[in-house]
Amino acid sequence: MRRLVLLVSILALMALACRPATAPTPTPAPTPRPATSPPMATPTPTPSVGVTPAPNLPAPTPTPTPIPTPAPTARPRYGGTLRYASPEPPSLDVHAQISFLTQAHGSYVYNGLLRFPYPQEQKFPADFTVFPDLAERWEFSADGKTLTLYLRKGVRWHNRPPVNARVVNAEDVKFSLERFAAKSGFRYRAEPIDAIEIVDPSTVRLRLKAPHAPILHNLADPSFMYILPKEGATFKDFNSVEATIGTGPFTLESYTRGVQLVYKKNPAFYLEGSPYLDQVVWEVVADSATRLALLRAGRVDTIGYRGFIAEEEARPLAKVRPDIPMTKYQRVEMGHIYMRTDKPPFSDIRVRQALSLAINRQAWIDTIHYGEGCIDNGPIPCALQTWKLDISKEEPAKAKYQVGYDPAEARRLLADAGFPQGLAVTLNYAAVVYGAVWDSRYQLAQQDLEKAGFKVTLAPQEYGLYISTTYLGKYEQMAIGPVTPFGEVDDWLYGFYYPGQTNNRSHVDDPQLTPLLVAQRQALDPAERKRIVLEIQRYLLDKAYYVYLPIGSTFSVHLPRVRNFVQHDSYGMGKMVQWTWLEEK
Amino acid sequence: MRQYVLRRGLFVIPTLVMVTIVVFLMLRFLPGDVVHQMLEGYAYAPTVEALRRELGLDKPLLVQYATWIRDIFRGDLGHSLWTKQPIVQEFARRFPVTLELAILTILVSVVVGVGIGVLSAIRQDSWADYGGRVFAIAMLAIPYFWLAVLVVVLPSIYLRWTPVWTYVPFTENPVENLKIMSIPALVFGLTRAGPVMRLMRSSMLEVMRQDYIRTAWAKGLSEQVVITRHALKNALIPVVSIIGIQTPFLIGGSVIMESIFRLPGVGQFFFEALIRRDYPVVQGINLILATFVILLNLVVDLSYAYLDPRIRYR
Repeated sequence: MRRLVLLVSILALMALACRPATAPTPTPAPTPRPATSPPMATPTPTPSVGVTPAPNLPAPTPTPTPIPTPAPTARPRYGGTLRYASPEPPSLDVHAQISFLTQAHGSYVYNGLLRFPYPQEQKFPADFTVFPDLAERWEFSADGKTLTLYLRKGVRWHNRPPVNARVVNAEDVKFSLERFAAKSGFRYRAEPIDAIEIVDPSTVRLRLKAPHAPILHNLADPSFMYILPKEGATFKDFNSVEATIGTGPFTLESYTRGVQLVYKKNPAFYLEGSPYLDQVVWEVVADSATRLALLRAGRVDTIGYRGFIAEEEARPLAKVRPDIPMTKYQRVEMGHIYMRTDKPPFSDIRVRQALSLAINRQAWIDTIHYGEGCIDNGPIPCALQTWKLDISKEEPAKAKYQVGYDPAEARRLLADAGFPQGLAVTLNYAAVVYGAVWDSRYQLAQQDLEKAGFKVTLAPQEYGLYISTTYLGKYEQMAIGPVTPFGEVDDWLYGFYYPGQTNNRSHVDDPQLTPLLVAQRQALDPAERKRIVLEIQRYLLDKAYYVYLPIGSTFSVHLPRVRNFVQHDSYGMGKMVQWTWLEEK
Repeated sequence: MRQYVLRRGLFVIPTLVMVTIVVFLMLRFLPGDVVHQMLEGYAYAPTVEALRRELGLDKPLLVQYATWIRDIFRGDLGHSLWTKQPIVQEFARRFPVTLELAILTILVSVVVGVGIGVLSAIRQDSWADYGGRVFAIAMLAIPYFWLAVLVVVLPSIYLRWTPVWTYVPFTENPVENLKIMSIPALVFGLTRAGPVMRLMRSSMLEVMRQDYIRTAWAKGLSEQVVITRHALKNALIPVVSIIGIQTPFLIGGSVIMESIFRLPGVGQFFFEALIRRDYPVVQGINLILATFVILLNLVVDLSYAYLDPRIRYR
């Protein structure tokens, strides 16, 4: 009855306002383009990532609500327009702006020298194996200090003046990498490069200051070193439709600020048969509730960034709209409690261990993640399977300081550290901005810590203040919050533990650890690097420099007609959409 | 009169100077820093310094202020730190959207508020009056942003439809434009109609008890003539004032309405700039709006002086 009343009210309101709305127009039956079959293998659905059980803790129970996943279609279909609703990129210049939205735009129109796997090549969403892109192969010198990249022959720029479909050459690469190093907020990625030399029109040599294993990842990451045309030196910037000249699968056709960006298929894209879509329309929608309403109404094919939807919205949606396909997986993400380990009381390992033991991670999973999630999410996130230490095989006496829950032991440790009456602490966090789940986490952290003898004062900060002080390590005692999701393991280790790094929010300076951090980034042999990375994780098990918080699943939604929308954990939305097709046009 | 105009006009200059100083300083004293926001977790010291230099934020505050003022005199309000777009150009493109929403909102609030208010007054203590009063109180109590979210979200759940479209300018397609603007204007206008209705009702009741209305009735005029020709005109005066008072609120409220109904107006532009600490944009929009309000006040003051000679001799 209440629904009926509600419905009648809404209808009355609509009728008052304007003429009756047009229902979503059914798309005419698709006309498949015959004969042209893409050269790629049939894509496989994304494998789901397992949940890592923690020692001494029950394994998370599966969710009671089955969430439908799209059935794979055997043969891709060409044509059609994919619409998606997302906030607006602050700029189109991929070197001048590090926003993930700008980088997502870049992934439609640009290419890097290297790339991460396409859907049909990837083993799991956080598979960061490096593949050739504009560079068809590469080689390191014997001393690891020279990286030579051989460009793919005959790749052409978009047909737009002043570049006019010219072939990509080594000068473009040199221009781009130098511009990146001069302009980008990510410019520290280029710091290991000492010099860029043009060997011939299709060969570039990078002289490195020292062997640097992450360089290949950084050249492949869609959020870093896109290759732009050298004619850009005469542009004011790359922040307009006219100046957006790339080599990517799509060209930027139009951009109405605050309204939409329209991308058209690049018919001359170097991979024959890709992309499948004729057009992609990025509808600018700032409000998340509006985005979801547009999806429910069938006005857009997917929403937000890579179809992401908050867990608290996803699970009810799956119940009431089982026709909307939903992908659930473990994304690279991390939230942690960080503290001033460079001064008392957190310079005392017992206080830090007490903090970690105070967090009831399984209860968090049950309370805010519907019983599903990953408990051991640090120092390397669960999703980065390639580098993750299997903590269940480690010594429980050490591992408990990373994932265990024991408030009695925490109290004892606090007493041993000189705080038998408990310890008063202030916990900074960014108010509101990270959403309802994070608001719950702040409360849960306070409750858990108080059970273990900490007297916690929550200190909310306005986002602007938080991001420019606490998040950069400028705070008094402790703080809690999410961190930038990196794909390169070096960022999680060197970035978070090397003295003086911006992301080293806990101010870690451990003489035993520091040489290992340097060693892993200089090890060019993947097996040797992995050995060091695992050694670092073992060393960190009981140090509790950070308190790692459990995470839930990530959900992505789209309309049923959208096929092969396969998640990859990079900023390369365009690289995903490149292999997406529509069942109907 | 000429002296009054001159004196009143001269007051505009120090007021505008004050506005520029207050806007400039308040923004700089807000916690948070645009450079750190731009770089997030990548805010390594050399990068921070280089970006600060590039954006011109490394210069002393006085120099930054002087540069801003100098550029204003050259007709340049500067560029957004994030989008790099000229502020004047962006404002000019977005202002018509906000203006249209404000005009349509006022239209809805006046038509609905005045209509129900008059009906309530002339049918005092009838079911029509009770209904009208309940409506007014409901519209006063319901937050407009909540109603807007309901109007967008509920039909999408139950009807698989939502009144949100891709914005089309009026000049391009008036019919499509009005379809897009009508629902937000209706939602916003209805919530603004509450106070209008209540004031209209009480004002109308007061006027209806005046001697000249009684005389009109005594002359045997029809109800329609008494109400429209004699009562309504006088009862509307306080209503017109409240509509004027609501105008700044409409600009403020447009921030949320534009965001929910995805309208590319000034409100959304301003809000995003404020969150991102995009100093030139916030300064520029504030200055434009402040100038607009100051000039509006000047026009009002001058017209008062014109209409009532006692004012200019004070």
